[in-house]
Amino acid sequence: MDIPVIRDVLEESNALAKENRARFDEHKLYVVNIMSSPGSGKTTLLSKTIPLLQQRGLRCAVIEGDITSTIDSERLQPLGIPVVQANTEPFGGDCHVGAHLVQAALKYLDLSALDILFIENIGNLVCPAEFYLGENRKVVVLSTTEGEDKPLKYPLMFRECSVCLISKMDLAPHLDIDVAQITSNIRKTNAQITVLPVSSKTGEGLDAWVEWLVKKS
Amino acid sequence: MHELYIAQSILKSVQKSLPEDVRAEDVTQVRVECGQLDAVVPDSLIFLFDAIKAESNMPQAELLVEQIAVACVCKDCSREFEMELPVFICPDCQSGNVELLRGRGIRLTGITVNEPEDENHGHTGHP
Ligand SMILES: [Zn+2]
Repeated sequence: MDIPVIRDVLEESNALAKENRARFDEHKLYVVNIMSSPGSGKTTLLSKTIPLLQQRGLRCAVIEGDITSTIDSERLQPLGIPVVQANTEPFGGDCHVGAHLVQAALKYLDLSALDILFIENIGNLVCPAEFYLGENRKVVVLSTTEGEDKPLKYPLMFRECSVCLISKMDLAPHLDIDVAQITSNIRKTNAQITVLPVSSKTGEGLDAWVEWLVKKS
Repeated sequence: MHELYIAQSILKSVQKSLPEDVRAEDVTQVRVECGQLDAVVPDSLIFLFDAIKAESNMPQAELLVEQIAVACVCKDCSREFEMELPVFICPDCQSGNVELLRGRGIRLTGITVNEPEDENHGHTGHP
């Protein structure tokens, strides 16, 4: 006997994401899901971005996704903001932060005392792109050390994101890399995406990135 | 490895889709379609599905994965096109203002259930 069905396999995950969205709306909280390959500099970028947001009077928090370690959340401690470590290991070691994990992390945050919540996703350009968490915007960080062809290899990630930060711009002069070519490949996958070159080391581009966040939040 | 999460989600979806009088143990085939954009590796998905189904209540279920090519429509000139490469640009007018028609999402599309030869119900419809 054949049973015909048309059913979204991720319906449960999407339903949880919608619950998250409703809670964020209730508290007028702006939520940014930040994704990248491992080692692109997401944590360092956040450690430079958040003080600039604090100067503008915005209250921030971070959900720090990691498979097992707490190293990244320890690096954010000096900011004096709420950081919730969300390890996926108890949930099967997924290579992405799931909506259920965000929901679990929210228990540790006073949402009414926040303006911007960052979800630092797990380093991986494939899996995190697949899952809606209830965020307002998805952002991808692509470092200059990763080569020009990454956007074409992982098109869903670049399709899903509103902004691509090209990080580690301070290294670009030392690498055999064509930033214009990276930008062109990003735009081939998503003509509408905002591309912002940044360097956490020199501070290049951070103002434009903070400006984008402030305008949206 | 989002394939593991997806394999688990497929089992849950099948469970929710079965009519009340059908036993999960009798499911022999599960069909899903995956958009090319989702970057699901069918062999990995089938391997992981097989690994977890052994522990589930549908150990006989065989997973069939159909890949759905990415197709777009250009919002400027209305041209529809399928993509060979992940380049979301209209081949006619070069516009990047294109909307995805197909090729994203994972859907359960069908379930096959083995009806055991049941002696008590075996005579209906036969002379
Ligand atoms: Zn066109």
